[in-house]
Amino acid sequence: MRRFSIVIMIALALVSLLVPGAQAARKLKVVATIPDLKSLTEAVGGDLVEVESLTRGTQNFHEAEVRPSMMLKLRRADAVVENGLGLDAWADVAIEASNNPSIIRGGRGRIEISRNVEVLEVPTTRVDRSMGDVHPQGNPHFSLDPGLAPTITQNIVDGLARVAPENRAAFEQNRKAFLTRLEQEMAKWTKTMEPVKGAKVVVFHPVYIYFLTRFGLVQAAALEDRPGIPPSPQHLVNVIREMKEEKIKAILVEPWNDVKLANRVAEEAGAKAYVMASAVGAVKGADNYLAAIDYNITTLAKALR
Amino acid sequence: MLRLMLVVVCVMVTLAPAVARAQDAEALRRELDALKRQQEQYQKAIEALSQRLQRLEAQPAPTVAQPAPAAPLAQSPSNPTSQMTPLSPLDLARPRQPFALYQQRGAGQLLFDVGVTGDFVGSLTQRNVEKASAGTFSGRENRFFPREVELSLFGQIDPYARADVRIEAGEEAPGAGTGVTLAEATITLLALPYGTQAKLGQMRNRFGWSNVIHEHDLPWIDRPDVYRVFFGEEGLAEKGLEVTWVPDFLPFYLEILGGVFNGDNETAFGFGRLRAPLATGRVVAFFELTDTMGLQVATSVANGVTPDRLKSTLLGYDLKYKYRPDGWLHPLLTLSTEGIYSMREETTKDRFGWYGWAEVQPLRQWAFGARYDSTQYPAMAGYQWAIEPYVTFFPSEFLRFRAAYKHTERTHRDGFDANGGSGRVVDELLFQATFILGAHPAHRF
Repeated sequence: MRRFSIVIMIALALVSLLVPGAQAARKLKVVATIPDLKSLTEAVGGDLVEVESLTRGTQNFHEAEVRPSMMLKLRRADAVVENGLGLDAWADVAIEASNNPSIIRGGRGRIEISRNVEVLEVPTTRVDRSMGDVHPQGNPHFSLDPGLAPTITQNIVDGLARVAPENRAAFEQNRKAFLTRLEQEMAKWTKTMEPVKGAKVVVFHPVYIYFLTRFGLVQAAALEDRPGIPPSPQHLVNVIREMKEEKIKAILVEPWNDVKLANRVAEEAGAKAYVMASAVGAVKGADNYLAAIDYNITTLAKALR
Repeated sequence: MLRLMLVVVCVMVTLAPAVARAQDAEALRRELDALKRQQEQYQKAIEALSQRLQRLEAQPAPTVAQPAPAAPLAQSPSNPTSQMTPLSPLDLARPRQPFALYQQRGAGQLLFDVGVTGDFVGSLTQRNVEKASAGTFSGRENRFFPREVELSLFGQIDPYARADVRIEAGEEAPGAGTGVTLAEATITLLALPYGTQAKLGQMRNRFGWSNVIHEHDLPWIDRPDVYRVFFGEEGLAEKGLEVTWVPDFLPFYLEILGGVFNGDNETAFGFGRLRAPLATGRVVAFFELTDTMGLQVATSVANGVTPDRLKSTLLGYDLKYKYRPDGWLHPLLTLSTEGIYSMREETTKDRFGWYGWAEVQPLRQWAFGARYDSTQYPAMAGYQWAIEPYVTFFPSEFLRFRAAYKHTERTHRDGFDANGGSGRVVDELLFQATFILGAHPAHRF
């Protein structure tokens, strides 16, 4: 009789493993290539997902080092969320070496968030490397433009729903709640930026074009005359002259870029360099998507007032 | 008892339709919700399209270029209607899909990546070393030569596999024509289960971390002496199959590899038949010490036979440490060592060789490093050691210049003194210029 009850208990345990409810309790493991996408995936996935990022906000995403630890994260992942447009092309190497067929190109767990994004700075002429590290498909730094969050989050919802169709409604609901909050913040941000609309700024690397365009600011020049290549002295002289003539008050720089050089140029031009939240986690206080945008809004509003 | 059972049956019969109705209603509600969601999505899509249409209509009409006169249908090999007319032998010889893939698409829309790398090397050394052909690039002492110009084609074949093809050209001897060879051609099966992956074809073997790296991507001008001595100038490259497994249950990264190859490498094996194949294995572990520091530890094995059917086994170890400060685009410090222990039936004693390497890159465009080599010879007595300090300048990510001084000393003259020259003490100045054109995949740690 005792043996019979043990058999029954084992059978019940096995059956419970097959019941969908037991499976649903497991969180989806998602890996994002950059922290901005980790934050957005967390907003959309809520309690149903567990998200890790392959990079940190303080890193230059163009040149991330492909570490085997990335491959371990990817090996365990149900889905990977990538930026696309060449920003995180290195992720391909890590993904292919992770031996995880669900996330290779064409796999159902591969989510590219640049789908349906209206890309800026798409080259209209022939491009080659003499122009620097130019992106033939356009500027890939769109993730921190709050106006594009609806498109990006929709792509994430669609991707996650491919992996876990039973959770689509929950993802949609989380997205709706996030967008409602974003809308409220957006109204506040638009009001804050209203007085400085039309102001010109100089950037180090063209990271902020989507963000600046969204809030009616103008990118007058970049310290890098060619993206990804250290600026030439002659170009810096020209930028300083332009800044003086146009009375430009701010240079926006990423924490991973040459902040000292930006400070020197700003000093020469009678302006100030500001380290921006070029990504989630790039600076203190920019720990999530909304906080990072809020940080940039506050910094710019103060700088340009 | 019977009465009780009858009551239970009656209750069940009465309740069953109600339960079924409730289930039907629930299903209908779900369908209705799904339809509503679908309708909302359609509505959004229509709104987005209307907005886009309005924006497009607001823009001035672009000037339409005069279309080029259409080619006669019969001459268009890709046009399906051309199939209706009989094809001449000339038409059959003309490339068609998929060979004329590029013609069918715009620029940048190739279905695979193409890259070209060029690696040019110069060597200056003593006259007696040149006479004995005992320099690092044997037979090409005091010359400037294209060591490796490589055409790479790579990409995903379909959702299940990728292909990599590398065709190389380079000078192998002074005055000789530049030979073109197939350096690598592999298929990697990406969609295998249980965390496995298989790669088959002609490849550089994953024995040690540096053997798999192509000449132009090495952090030095020349391959470490231990690889050159135990596997020949180009290291270990074989034809066969490799399978890897990455377990997902460990707290750190581990990769286990096993391979079967022909065993064509003449320096270490050379039997070249699958009747007595070359078997390889490798275990790699990676420890992320901090966000800025990583350590890779690995061990490799290769076991094959020589043409005389004598066993040859090589055991290898490798360690690599990198420190990349937060936000830096390059590592500040790289340290590495690799070693090979050779056991051959044809020699009475086992042999060993190793190198240690350190590189500092304080600036984005400049790196300074040094490598110390010490290795015994696999089939004869004695050993050699060398020290090679170098400096690297990167004008950009795609262009690199390197200069090195290499001092080598050998304990024996036998095998190195020839044609009235000597190879016992060798001093060399080495130069390298490398470019990358087009696509080039990122490198692993």
